[in-house]
Amino acid sequence: MAFVKRNVRWQPILVVLLVAALLLVALDQRGSGPITAVKRVAREVISPVQTGVNSVFNPVRDLFDGVINYGQLRDRNLDLKRTNEVLQGKLLRERAVGSKVGELEKLLDLPTFEDATGVAARVVGGSPSNFERTVSINKGTSSGIQVGQPVVAGAGLVGKVTAVSRTVSTVTLINSSGFGVGVRLENSNEQGIAEGKSGESQMKLSFLTNVKIVVKKGELTFTSATTDAVFPPDIPVARVVSSQKLAGALEPTVILEPVVNLDDLTYVKVLR
Amino acid sequence: MMQRRLRVLLLVFSLVILQTTIFTHLHVFGAIPDLLLVATVAVAYNQGPQAGALFGFFSGLVLDFFLVSPFGLSAISNSVTGWAIGTFQAGMAFQTRRTQVFLAALGGVIGGTVFMVVGGVVGVAGYLSLYSVQVIVAGSIWDAVVSVPIFMFVHWALMTERLRRY
Repeated sequence: MAFVKRNVRWQPILVVLLVAALLLVALDQRGSGPITAVKRVAREVISPVQTGVNSVFNPVRDLFDGVINYGQLRDRNLDLKRTNEVLQGKLLRERAVGSKVGELEKLLDLPTFEDATGVAARVVGGSPSNFERTVSINKGTSSGIQVGQPVVAGAGLVGKVTAVSRTVSTVTLINSSGFGVGVRLENSNEQGIAEGKSGESQMKLSFLTNVKIVVKKGELTFTSATTDAVFPPDIPVARVVSSQKLAGALEPTVILEPVVNLDDLTYVKVLR
Repeated sequence: MMQRRLRVLLLVFSLVILQTTIFTHLHVFGAIPDLLLVATVAVAYNQGPQAGALFGFFSGLVLDFFLVSPFGLSAISNSVTGWAIGTFQAGMAFQTRRTQVFLAALGGVIGGTVFMVVGGVVGVAGYLSLYSVQVIVAGSIWDAVVSVPIFMFVHWALMTERLRRY
């Protein structure tokens, strides 16, 4: 235990640092090339070490997860087996319809989700900050990945690439606040924007093209086919969890749940 | 002096690696600890407000390389935290191991609040929300939990050669 009583005076150094940092923020907000380049170089330099640490740590993490969540994993495995059987049956029933749809798509020359080529990648980490919803994947520019490319997992849309280095990329998830995806509703084909809600895993549907439509619980949303869309059309995005029209509100409050479990991603595919 | 700088570089490098790899998996109530912020608190505790602000600025910039939020935001929050903690601890009459844990939690609250407010002001969507407050509280508890080894690491990094011989 020590007795400390120092005389502290205001120094201009903090002001200088704050002004410098604010300038950097302003430059970055304006899309400064040098900052992006420096960020990329820093990521390049550190990525081999990150990859090494992750490769050491991932088996240990998987082992702990397996031991701690053994019961959950067993139940989930049974669920997946049941779901698989149901889907196999559904797939067989839809095969007849699918061939007709395929023929019509060829006739109209429509691009589809399956047309896009992709790069499979493993999720190696989450966000290093408490204020972002991102994941890191183990593929980068060396595999042809670029900023802005859409990322999907088995069931649907995951997000898009927002930062990339040679061997690692950062993917911002669709439920990040400020992230918006143009979607269409399964039954009515009406379009809207699925947006991330601050800090929540769910999303909300806004800016509907027709505010009088009835949105049903369980209805799916898919990426919409607009001319300047970031995402290819018809990728499943989210499922309607609830929909209610509040008195005086212009449009219904529609809450969506992403079809992909974004908190438990292992492998993803980056579309090119 | 040279060795001391190397140790400080090693400190920052190690904490960045840990922050961007292992600790990204350790979410509790939506929060992970901010290792570089805790190190900034430790530097401010050991060396005072100026050193705290400088270390916070540069360590924040290093972390900003790995975030998608505006570049410089962590530098602002960490330098303000370093300055505030350095100033606060200088006026404290007694300092114990518990004080370090308390200061780490306080630093987490200050750093998180500055990050949230400045981020919201510069236009990052969703920062000014109740969820951010929850994350700041959970994060500050995490910061307190990891503070003891980080304070020891920082103490080792800042130690002069003369003191090391003792």
